Amino acid sequence: MKQLNYKFVIKYILPGLFLAFCLAIPGFTSGYMLRVLNIALITYLCVLSLYVILGMCGQNSFAQAGLWGVGAYMAANFVMKMGAPPLAALLLSSLGTAVFAFVLGFAFFRLRQYYFTFASVGLMAILNGLFMNWNEVTGGALGITNIPSFSIGGAIIKSEPGNFYVIFFICLAAFFLMKVLFNSALGRSFMAIRDNEIAANCLGVNSLLTKSIAFGISGALCGAAGALYAFLAGYLSYQTFTFQQSTMYLIMIMLGGTMSPSGALIGTLIISLLQEWVRPLQNYMQFIYGAGIMILMIVQPEGIFGGGKAIYDKYLKHSKTARTEAD
Amino acid sequence: MTSISNTQKQPVLKLINVCKRFGGVVAANEISFELYAGEIFGLIGPNGSGKTTLINLITGIYSVDSGSIVLDGKNIVRMPIHNRARVGIVRTFQHPRLLGRCDIRANISLGKDLADKRKIPDTDKYQERMGVLLEAAGLTNVDLSDSIEKLSYGQQKMLEIVRALLSKPKVLLLDEPAAGLNRKEMSYIINLIDFAVKEDICVLLIEHAMDLVMSICQRLTVLNFGQQIASGIPSEIQENPAVIKAYLGGSRNAEN
Ligand SMILES: Nc1ncnc2c1ncn2[C@@H]1O[C@H](COP(=O)(O)OP(=O)(O)OP(=O)(O)O)[C@@H](O)[C@H]1O
Ligand SMILES: [Mg+2]
Repeated sequence: MKQLNYKFVIKYILPGLFLAFCLAIPGFTSGYMLRVLNIALITYLCVLSLYVILGMCGQNSFAQAGLWGVGAYMAANFVMKMGAPPLAALLLSSLGTAVFAFVLGFAFFRLRQYYFTFASVGLMAILNGLFMNWNEVTGGALGITNIPSFSIGGAIIKSEPGNFYVIFFICLAAFFLMKVLFNSALGRSFMAIRDNEIAANCLGVNSLLTKSIAFGISGALCGAAGALYAFLAGYLSYQTFTFQQSTMYLIMIMLGGTMSPSGALIGTLIISLLQEWVRPLQNYMQFIYGAGIMILMIVQPEGIFGGGKAIYDKYLKHSKTARTEAD
Repeated sequence: MTSISNTQKQPVLKLINVCKRFGGVVAANEISFELYAGEIFGLIGPNGSGKTTLINLITGIYSVDSGSIVLDGKNIVRMPIHNRARVGIVRTFQHPRLLGRCDIRANISLGKDLADKRKIPDTDKYQERMGVLLEAAGLTNVDLSDSIEKLSYGQQKMLEIVRALLSKPKVLLLDEPAAGLNRKEMSYIINLIDFAVKEDICVLLIEHAMDLVMSICQRLTVLNFGQQIASGIPSEIQENPAVIKAYLGGSRNAEN
């Protein structure tokens, strides 16, 4: 009975309280802090995209900030040049970035092992170059300004709390979609590739197609994040979508743990908030991250959430069975 | 089995003059044999004789240098690995290859996923089938939400066969399923092979445990340095002087 209670608390009560807390945040948070949170949640979508391609499928990508940019510029163009409503632009950018990533995946994943990672570094560099130089579409070095705010139907969402609820809802939906993916045949085929590619093939998993789909899904998340960012910031610059940013996503997911959407969330929040709170130490942040990640990988390679889960599995999950076995 | 006589029966899987070499090593030299539905076919030979290589050739992990591999009358040598699985060739590995970071249920479900990809219709009977298989494999008491690290080596091997059988294959290739198992676990392996035979699956069994091979295989072939040195029914093989010289003598020593 006791272990049932633990399970119930950990699986439902804690997340429920967390959800309620999140919904109440705009009530007691200043505009500036809310903006930080909004950016953090957008970042979460990108880190979640790493959960798909790295955590589930085992393929490390340094191109996620590039895909984020693709989504952002797509959304800006859909709205400003084609007059698409923001909601449609959001969906189209997400879809467009997904297709973009999927097609590139088809080229990249002909390379086996870690060569995809190399290719993703190249992709990031090319995309950043494009953002900086393709004046017609990205505004070149000047970027794009005056992007309209998000709106649903006729209702324009300009306020920070309004944006918070929009972004929060999309993150929540993405979180649960990832849970669905995890329990689906497609998700299992990702994980089969991650854990043993040859064995996966021998179970009918097509490596090239499956990895490309994983990259496509990661593109969909980054694309949505990009569109949300464009509407929130109202301004796009190539300096936002950088290799450095991609690396930051990787640090976030390593910190939280690559194996679950919750790990991705923990990592994103910790680093996003840390960046705010220790602004005076900005110059030393690289050292702190570097040292922090190295220590973490040695002590707890599965990240914070992975460590927590290991403790749960060890001490709580089987507390009852362990007792009966001992009898 | 009632109306069709043995001579009319078509083989499910047929190897014709399959060759494979690695540098100077000839791992498969003109290998030919046929597998029939519901049959247990043994593949034996000393270490390094090319048994695993043959399974790798049949599943497409290695490509043949020459020769044909024919499934239901269709040459599959150019087919990629995943498509060979989808037409019904599944295998286990000499060392079990499960999803190390997933739970037992996810591992098992991959077999069901393959059945879906194979468009096997009766997926509604899946739960029942899984229950029967887990029972046969002695895995009824495991918690499916545990990670596979909680399973013993033997249980992992069993799980791999269960996963393979859930996909309703035509051909099941078993690479030393009983190696490293105790008597009790060996009996579970036999249960699972029985299950496969009842479903008219052809089973290719690589095994060093001679008593097992000789008691359950209808026919077998013996490899030595990539050559087929003998083929036939167990009683013939056991008396074949070339086999005794190359293998049986050696294995008796190895077992001590
Ligand atoms: N990928 C490879 N590259 C080079 N040589 C290989 C490769 N795979 C197998 N071989 C060689 O082919 C020969 C047959 O090996 P194989 O693994 O098929 O033997 P086996 O009969 O399964 O042996 P065991 O009983 O030890 O499992 C060996 O000489 C081996 O070294
Ligand atoms: Mg072998």
